[in-house]
Amino acid sequence: MHELSIVKDIFDTLSAHYATKIDDIQKIQVTAGLLSNVQPVLIQNAFDAFIADNRQYRDMELEVIVNDIIAHCDHCQKDFNVQYHRFVCPCGQPSTQIVQGNELFISKVIFKQHVS
Amino acid sequence: MSVNPANPKSAGNRVGSVQCDNTTLHLLKANDYVAQAIRTRLKDVCVINVCSSPGSGKTTLMQETGKRLAKDLNISILVGDPETERDAVRMREVGINALQIVTGGMCHIEAQMILQALDHIDLTGTDLLFIENVGNLLCPSAFDLGEDYRVTLLATTEGDDKPKKYPRMFLTSELMLVSKADLLPYVPFSVDAVSKDAWEVNPNLEVMTISTLNGEGLDAWCDWLKAKVQAKKEAANQTTEK
Ligand SMILES: Nc1nc2c(ncn2[C@@H]2O[C@H](COP(=O)(O)OP(=O)(O)O)[C@@H](O)[C@H]2O)c(=O)[nH]1
Ligand SMILES: [Mg+2]
Ligand SMILES: [Zn+2]
Repeated sequence: MHELSIVKDIFDTLSAHYATKIDDIQKIQVTAGLLSNVQPVLIQNAFDAFIADNRQYRDMELEVIVNDIIAHCDHCQKDFNVQYHRFVCPCGQPSTQIVQGNELFISKVIFKQHVS
Repeated sequence: MSVNPANPKSAGNRVGSVQCDNTTLHLLKANDYVAQAIRTRLKDVCVINVCSSPGSGKTTLMQETGKRLAKDLNISILVGDPETERDAVRMREVGINALQIVTGGMCHIEAQMILQALDHIDLTGTDLLFIENVGNLLCPSAFDLGEDYRVTLLATTEGDDKPKKYPRMFLTSELMLVSKADLLPYVPFSVDAVSKDAWEVNPNLEVMTISTLNGEGLDAWCDWLKAKVQAKKEAANQTTEK
């Protein structure tokens, strides 16, 4: 998987959004749906490699949250959990209307405390 | 949110003074913008992103398709490969306008590479543009290349458990081609089982069985292509008439 591209994109996104405040970030949380094919261990490794190369970020921490896949059934007007990639509602209707599982985003940014 | 000060899982940070931003900063979005730019640029060209594992028969199928449709359609192809120019040469041998995209070891093509390639290939008169993706069922699934259709090949030699192992690839495809069907008598592969699994992942997926060796299914595949090209042309005409 392209974990390193994602890590680079994380830092591009953070610096676009927070400018120089990026240096005060202590921890970020990334939320990845199961369908985004992101492996938490691999992305952690890529992140560690990146901050080792870019010393100004060396204290930053990463947490990866993986979301289950949830789809919507029109027949029942309800959402259902997609297990083992079976996109079929318990009522038997197939559905690929994905409500959750495709996402990949930075969900939380925690800044260092400035003890003054 | 209530905070339990005795929570042993807490890292001990003084919660009150930590500044925390809850965000939704989406990642890999830049690719989607570029993909949209490609769609805008290629209004009357039908673009097909062809994906599979390495060796499933993408290049051979493109060659065979080029030969069969030479009289009907003007075909061009962008061929992604981590290192070599070989596949584009194979396409030019059968008279197809081809440009190699060397991804420099990367495991997938990104929309930006396609947009750049469009400046180096002459698509005047092209009805159908194939993009042969890098052989990989995982990473290419996450990158929209501005295509109209995504077609995934699965060779009978690869085993019939792939749709469940690489669901996003099959979920995002419009058509699955079970390739190397001539080998079905010799390998443990069930077209029924693989179709059933694929439909659980994507009920709208079309499935065709093909062999470039004995020609099975190629007429149906070529008819499918011709219909898609026609549909794209009609859609383009409608928007220009408005
Ligand atoms: N038996 C059989 N072999 C095929 C068929 N199509 C391609 N091949 C062989 O599979 C190998 C890989 O094909 P290629 O088109 O280069 O695959 P690509 O990596 O997906 O582009 C070559 O040795 C082809 O001759 C087919 O329909 N039947
Ligand atoms: Mg090839
Ligand atoms: Zn239902």
